[in-house]
Amino acid sequence: MREIVSIHVGQCGNQIADRYWRLILREHGLNENGMPKDGSSVSANSNMEVFFHKVRDGKFVPRAVLVDLEPGVINRIETGEMSKLFDEGSIVRKIPGAANNWARGYNVEGERVIDQIMNVIDAAVEKTKSLQGFLLTHSIGGGSGSGLGSLILERLRSAYPKKKIFTFSVAPSPLISDSAVEPYNAVLTLQRIRDNADAAVILDNEALFRIAKSKLHRAPNYMDLNNIVALIMSSVTASLRFPGKLNTDLGEFVTNLVPFPGNHFLTASFAPMRAIASEGQVRSNFPDLARETFAQDNFTAAIDWANGVYLSACALFRGDVKAKEVEENMASIRKSLNFASYVPTGIKIGVAETAPEGFASSGLALVNHTGIAAVFERLVAQFDIMFDNHAYTHWYEGAGVPREKMAEARDTVADLAKSYRDAS
Amino acid sequence: MDISLERQIASASRSVEEARRMSYNDPSRTGDLVEHISVLADLRQKEGDFRKAEGLYREALFRVQDLRKPDHELLAGIYSLLAYLYDRWGKMDLAAQFYEKALKLSEQHGFQDADKAATIKNNLAMIFKSLRKQEKAEQYYQEALDSFRALYGEENAKVASVYNNLGVLYYANLDVDRAQSMHEKALAIRQNLNGSDIDAADLSQTYINLGAVYKAQGDFQRAEECVDRAKKLRASANGYAPVARRSASLLLDRSA
Ligand SMILES: Nc1nc2c(ncn2[C@@H]2O[C@H](COP(=O)(O)OP(=O)(O)O)[C@@H](O)[C@H]2O)c(=O)[nH]1
Ligand SMILES: [Mg+2]
Repeated sequence: MREIVSIHVGQCGNQIADRYWRLILREHGLNENGMPKDGSSVSANSNMEVFFHKVRDGKFVPRAVLVDLEPGVINRIETGEMSKLFDEGSIVRKIPGAANNWARGYNVEGERVIDQIMNVIDAAVEKTKSLQGFLLTHSIGGGSGSGLGSLILERLRSAYPKKKIFTFSVAPSPLISDSAVEPYNAVLTLQRIRDNADAAVILDNEALFRIAKSKLHRAPNYMDLNNIVALIMSSVTASLRFPGKLNTDLGEFVTNLVPFPGNHFLTASFAPMRAIASEGQVRSNFPDLARETFAQDNFTAAIDWANGVYLSACALFRGDVKAKEVEENMASIRKSLNFASYVPTGIKIGVAETAPEGFASSGLALVNHTGIAAVFERLVAQFDIMFDNHAYTHWYEGAGVPREKMAEARDTVADLAKSYRDAS
Repeated sequence: MDISLERQIASASRSVEEARRMSYNDPSRTGDLVEHISVLADLRQKEGDFRKAEGLYREALFRVQDLRKPDHELLAGIYSLLAYLYDRWGKMDLAAQFYEKALKLSEQHGFQDADKAATIKNNLAMIFKSLRKQEKAEQYYQEALDSFRALYGEENAKVASVYNNLGVLYYANLDVDRAQSMHEKALAIRQNLNGSDIDAADLSQTYINLGAVYKAQGDFQRAEECVDRAKKLRASANGYAPVARRSASLLLDRSA
C-alpha cells in the first residue's frame, strides 16, 4: 500500500500535473482514461495503489486533488486527452483568481475554498489504507499556488501531523517572470514551506530554463520545463511503485536528506536530459549516466556550488542498470562530492526496474546542498528593494497581510539562508 | 468506535462525493450537495469530530454564497447549523455570531418560520448568558417568549422552557423574586402538559430550581418539599432516557 495523494494548485501546479499524470499513466500502462492498455504487462507488476484508486469498472483514478482559482488550466485538462481521468469530485475551481497576490490566495479567496479543499483531501485520504504522505505541486511566485498553497500546507500539517508532506515548488526567475511582486509571494510561501513541509524540492525556473534550452537547442516553453519536473517527480516515487532492490519511501528520504529540522530544501537532477519527443529510446552507458546525474549544471536550482557543501545526497537509478556498475561508479562520484565535514558522506542509493518511457535507463539525484542559500538570498534581495520603497505592499495590506507579517517572512527566509551558510 | 456510526459515515461520505461530482458541472445541484453535507456533518458531530463537521458546514456555506441566484433560506439554515455546532463545541463567540446572522437574514427576507426564529433567539440568549452579557440574554429570552406565546398560547412546553431559562438567568443575577415567578409559571405549565409533551426530567428540574429559589428566600420548608418531589420524579422516571434532541432544537438551561 503506502499510498500518496498528490495536490496540484494554481496555474503552474496544474500545468505540471498535466505533464506528470501523462507520464505516470504511461509508466503504469494505462491509457488517458485510466484503463489498462491492451496487452500491457506494466500494471501487473507494479504497485498501482500508490498513485491510483481502482474503481468498479476497472478504471484507475489518480489520487489527485486539482485546485485553481482561475478555471483556465483545469478546463484545458478537462477538455483535453485526459478529460475522463480525474474524479470531478476532487477538482476545486473557483473564480475570480488571486491576481498574483499571495495575500488574496491565502486570505481572501483562500478562506472561501479551503474547507472544500480539505474535505476533498479528507475524502481522498479515507480511500487509502496506509497513507504515507502528500505531494504538492505549485509555483511560489504567483497568487494561487503560493498563497492558497501556503494555506493548504498549514491546514494539511495540522490535520495530518504524522504524514510526510513533499512540495515541488517552482521558484520565480526574472528571466521568465510574469510580475514584479513574485519575490514577495515567494518569500511569504517559503516561510510556510519551512514551517509545514517535510521536504521541498526547489525547482528554479531559471535553472529549468537553462537546462531545457541547452538540451533542446531551441527556446523552451513551460511544458518543456514541466516535462523535466514530471520526470523528477516520477523518479522520486519510482522505487515505491516498481519492484527493485532498494526501496525508498518518503519517510526514508526525509531521514536521509534532512540533517537539521527546517533545512529541508532540496534540489534535484534528472539524467539523461534529452529531447523526450525524439524517436527511439534514449540509451546511455552507466558511467555517463551517473556522471550526468551528478553534473552541477544539471540541477534544477541555481546552487552556489563554489561556496557550499553537500549535507546529504540520494540517487535513484531506473531501468537497465547493474548493481556492480552502480557500486563502482558511485564510489568514485561520492569521492568527488564535497560533503560537510560533520555528516556521513554516503550517497543513499535506490534502484527500480522500470525506467520512464522513452529511456532504457535513467538517474535521479536528490540532494541537500548548502549552496541553496543563494536562491533564498536572491529572493530576499529582490524583496528588500521593493519592500524598502513600499512598492506594492498596500496590495498585501489590503488583503490582510500587514507589513510586519511580510517583514517576519522576510526574516525567516533570510535566517534560513544564513543557517545554510553557517552549515557550510 | 460505534460500528454502525462508522458505516453511516462511510455511506454519507460517498453521497457527499457523488453530490460534489453532480454539482461540479451543474450548480443547480448545490442544494442537494448541501443536504448531503449536513447529514455527514451531523454524523461527524456525533463522532465527536467537530473540526470535520465545521469544515463541511463551511464548504456548504461558501457553495451557497457562490450561487448565482441567492438562496437566503438555505443560507440561514447553514448559519444556524454552524451556530449550533459552535455552541456544542464551546466556541460561544462564533455561535452567537452565526445565530445572529441567521436571524438577521430571516428578518430581512421574512421567510423563516416563527418557531425557528424563536428557537434561535432562545439559544442566542443562552450563549449571551454564558458570555456574561446579561442584558442581551434577557432581551432575547423575552423575544423568544413573546413569539412562542403568540404561536402556541401559554400552555406549551416551549413556553415553559423559556420561562425556565429566564428563571435560571434571574437567579444567577440574584434576582430571586423574578426567578421565583418564572419557575412558578414553568411549573404551572409543565404540571398540566399532556401526552408526548410530558417530560419528567424537565418537571423535576423545575422543582429543583424552585427549591433553590425558596431556599434563597429562607423558606426551607417549601424548599425541602420541592427537592422531595424532584427526587420522587427522578426515581419514578428511572431507566427513562431522554430522546436525543435534533440539531437547532431549543436549548435548555439545566443549571440550577
Ligand atoms: N515551470 C513552470 N513555471 C510556471 C508555469 N506556469 C507559471 N509558472 C511560473 O509561476 C509563476 C506564476 O505563478 P502561476 O502559477 O501562474 O500563478 P497561480 O496560478 O496564481 O498560482 C511565475 O514565476 C511563472 O514563471 C509552468 O507551467 N511551469
Ligand atoms: Mg499565472
